[in-house]
Amino acid sequence: MNQIPILTLLLFLPLVGALLLLALERREGMARVVALCIGLLETVLACSAWFCQCNLPVANAPKGFFLFEDLPWIEALGIRYTIGMDGISLLLVILTALVTVIAMLTSWRSITERVSLHYLLLLAMESGIMGVFLSLDLFLFYLFWELMLIPMFFLIFIWGHGRNIYSAVKFFLYTLIGSLLMLLAIIGIYLIHGSQSGIYSFGLSAILGTQFTSATGLWLYAAFLLAFAVKFPIVPLHTWLPDAHTDAPTAGSVILAGLLLKTGAYGLIRFGYPLFPEAARTLTPLLIVLAVTGIIYASWIAFAQKDMKRLVAYSSVGHMGFVALGIAVWTPVALSGAVLQMVNHGLTTTALFALVGMLDERTHSRQIEDYGGLWGKVPLLSAFFVLFAMASAGLPGLNNFVGEFLILAGSFKVAHIATILAFIGVILPLVYTVRLIQEVIFQEERRPLTLSDLTLREISILAALAIGDLYIGLHPAPLLEILKTPVALLTGGSP
Amino acid sequence: MDTIAIPAINLAVIAPEVVLSVVAMALLLINVFVKSEQKGYLGYLSIAGILGTLLMLIPAWGSSVEGFSGTIIQDNFAIFFKVIFLISAAMSILITDKYLEREGCNQGEIYPLILFATVGMMLMASGTDLMTIFLGLEVLSVSLYVLAGFNRNNIKSNEAGLKYFLLGAFSTGFLLYGMALTYGATGTTKIAKIASYIAMNGVSSSNLMLVAGMILMSTGFAFKVAAAPFHMWTPDVYEGAPTPMTAFMSVGPKAAGFAAFARVLLVALPALKPEWSSLLWVLAVLTMTVGNITALYQQNIKRMLAYSSIAHAGYILVGFTAGNAVGTAGILFYMLSYAFMNIGAFAIIILVGKKGEENSNVSDYAGFGYRHPVLGIAFCIFLFSLAGIPPAAGFIGKFYLFSGAIQAGYIWLAVIGVLNSAASVYYYLRVMVFMYFKEPTEDFEWVKLTPAFVLCLLIAVIGVLVPGVLPGLFLELAQKAVLM
Amino acid sequence: MAGAYLPIILLLAIAVCFGLGSLVFSSLIGQKKLSAVKLQPYECGCEPVGSAQERFSIKFYLIAMLFILFDIECVFLYPWAVLFKRLGVFGIMEMGAFMLILFVGYIYIWKKGALEWE
Repeated sequence: MNQIPILTLLLFLPLVGALLLLALERREGMARVVALCIGLLETVLACSAWFCQCNLPVANAPKGFFLFEDLPWIEALGIRYTIGMDGISLLLVILTALVTVIAMLTSWRSITERVSLHYLLLLAMESGIMGVFLSLDLFLFYLFWELMLIPMFFLIFIWGHGRNIYSAVKFFLYTLIGSLLMLLAIIGIYLIHGSQSGIYSFGLSAILGTQFTSATGLWLYAAFLLAFAVKFPIVPLHTWLPDAHTDAPTAGSVILAGLLLKTGAYGLIRFGYPLFPEAARTLTPLLIVLAVTGIIYASWIAFAQKDMKRLVAYSSVGHMGFVALGIAVWTPVALSGAVLQMVNHGLTTTALFALVGMLDERTHSRQIEDYGGLWGKVPLLSAFFVLFAMASAGLPGLNNFVGEFLILAGSFKVAHIATILAFIGVILPLVYTVRLIQEVIFQEERRPLTLSDLTLREISILAALAIGDLYIGLHPAPLLEILKTPVALLTGGSP
Repeated sequence: MDTIAIPAINLAVIAPEVVLSVVAMALLLINVFVKSEQKGYLGYLSIAGILGTLLMLIPAWGSSVEGFSGTIIQDNFAIFFKVIFLISAAMSILITDKYLEREGCNQGEIYPLILFATVGMMLMASGTDLMTIFLGLEVLSVSLYVLAGFNRNNIKSNEAGLKYFLLGAFSTGFLLYGMALTYGATGTTKIAKIASYIAMNGVSSSNLMLVAGMILMSTGFAFKVAAAPFHMWTPDVYEGAPTPMTAFMSVGPKAAGFAAFARVLLVALPALKPEWSSLLWVLAVLTMTVGNITALYQQNIKRMLAYSSIAHAGYILVGFTAGNAVGTAGILFYMLSYAFMNIGAFAIIILVGKKGEENSNVSDYAGFGYRHPVLGIAFCIFLFSLAGIPPAAGFIGKFYLFSGAIQAGYIWLAVIGVLNSAASVYYYLRVMVFMYFKEPTEDFEWVKLTPAFVLCLLIAVIGVLVPGVLPGLFLELAQKAVLM
Repeated sequence: MAGAYLPIILLLAIAVCFGLGSLVFSSLIGQKKLSAVKLQPYECGCEPVGSAQERFSIKFYLIAMLFILFDIECVFLYPWAVLFKRLGVFGIMEMGAFMLILFVGYIYIWKKGALEWE
């Protein structure tokens, strides 16, 4: 039993910060600083969780969870405040804290209206996402799942541009329909489990052993899968994503790509497969086909994009396709690859969106054809651009390569053809990325541009992400070590 | 000549109603004796009366007392509903004063009328005899007809009053006819005796008179709670009525209708459950779908909330169709939270409105969120709760209602309900779109808060958030109230 | 059961037949000499003034409505009067409460000016 409830602090520190910002409605400069401090504090807290891993085993906690808190909440319904952290949660929680700080920094200058509300929403969002990654009670999970929807909606909607209303509403309705069906499935599980065991509970560890008839299990799993697939996004449910990204403010895109997409994958790993092993096995071929289709299709479409943000958005769909493939085959290697790929994608795509945001701030254009010849003008920015673009394309030595490699290695034995096809998906990103780099950075200037190079704030954003990228790319062993136990437990092996 | 034996009367059972009626009558007299400048005090006096009644009700929790030879009962179920009525009446009164001043129809009669309507609702929730229920309904309805048409200078308000009166009278006819047929089939109007007669004599669905009675009564109640296809009066009446009364009407009487409906179906006619649950299934689906789809197209925010209140009646009917303890507790919880969120939303509408019911289009809210950040956030909380998004109370309520339906095996009903709920998010969001996105076309200078308004909004926000975040206590109370 | 209602049904039938019969027969066998004076609406033997569809002042309706209200309530006093002794003290108290409520209404309309003609 640890003395400090780190997890509760992780969950509620941002919310408390959000309430603080409510009081700072009129003092914008102050609001920025307070928000950033809260964000940094949260990051420190998240990193400190790293050192709690030696706690194992924790009393009452499910296997593999080194931080665990469990309190009664709504006893009438058997709903408990159960939160826990294992290796998978740990990585994603650290990612969440980091990406939120970066999102705050990217909007430091670009957001000039309703500043405190903007930071308030970012913090509320952080709370929601933390909750999703930490909840071990289905009801609690659903609550946080919905909670993170609202701030995102407003972020796109208030500070977005272009067709932001359309995009925001589309995003909201897509996710909401998926999650409401998941809610029904959650109630269904709750009732089936209750009638079988006599104990009504939403707790994950209590429900895990519930037996479903194959038809019921399939329907329930399908509802879960739908909700997660929308967030993922798995083709053909991805159409909200390019719109939402294109029209969102930079911070919105960063959080959307860096964090929100991970929640779908995380849900599938934490709840979808463990709760319905049989149904999941039945639908695995479907998931594999969709994942591979997504990888190839998204890369294909990305090639045709003229808007950089849209290009990065489609590349996200492709990268998340790899994650889907890694989860679908459900082997230890592929699964650790998938989790690692989630982190990688979080870092790399965040950086790319931040870079596009920086360019947009300078020239007010995101069209590829407006740029050219950046190398000579803004060497620092160009260098970072090339680095992250190559990381995104899966260059060995950088982070995405490790994740993709593990996923492909892990899935080859299970699904030959899919893996071979997915391998094309490793090459295609290289094609559009090289084109992007060529047109934006190296090609001759197409129209006169006046740009200033990176500021210190921007350098610190990109440098932090670059260090992460390089570290995972060169020395992923510590992260894989963390993932070993939970992945082994999930896939049914011994830790 | 011997004296007639007077059956046992337990005045304690109706003590809260008596107190409230006396307060109302006193207000009526005070109103004609004081000068018109001092009318504002009537509101506070009526709130004092409501608080007194509440204080009398709370100690009665947990006991079940009958009176008037079993025609009236004060049990947890009744008390829970009465608290909802009193809360909705008090909150509506808090926002009435300023509205009346603005619209220039500051007649003190509105307060006694609200109190009389509340007494009627309380009788409906307590009634264990079809006649008592009918009596309560009439006391309620007659007061409401006047309240709907209270703004005499406004032609829409007149229309609302007349429409409500005509259709209300019509629906009362259905209800009474249904009661008569039920009486004909079972020989009693007492709810408990109807059930025992049916159980003893094996009267069942083969008895056409009873089934017809059940259907006609359901029709009457469906009118009162504005369930499709008997909802036609709602939008016009809600739009035309003075806004505080719309808030009141969309919460209190609806809850009262459900209270009486629940007692009649669940206690008197459990034997006909297969029949009425399939009837309610259709009603629920129709009500949710019609309410939500029509609400999508509304430009006037009062009309939009009118259709949304139809949809909410549909969600409650989902819990009703389930007919089990979870579903019924869901009805109770949902009505409670609905009172807070809906009256809160209407309070904001009153604040934004101008004289003559102007400024009640959705587009008039452009930029409201910027100009009044705190009010904007409060409005967002109410709208999110109406949309059923956590952590607001509306979510827990819906969760509970749909749980009841799933438990009873009505999976498709729950799916339809959930999809409806998703569709409804769109029109609530639309208001927020205008509030936060569009450039302000007006300066919203006229929005001035009074202490009463602040109090009402505060109660509403607390009432939406506390049961949303810590629903345990409220769910427990609702579960205890279900044991009729 | 049905036998008990037979006299009433017979009475109703005879009444309807008589009413209809006298109308039909008088129109069949009566003389018809129509003139302008005969076709005039009958109004207490006076010359008719103005149209029959004239609007009445709302004051009449108000008085009529109030009259009906209090008149109907008075009906409740009759059964009490009949059973006055047998109902005892309880009856007095109950009717007292009833009259009090009526009285509140009466004072209200009085003070409100509903009873004043101008």
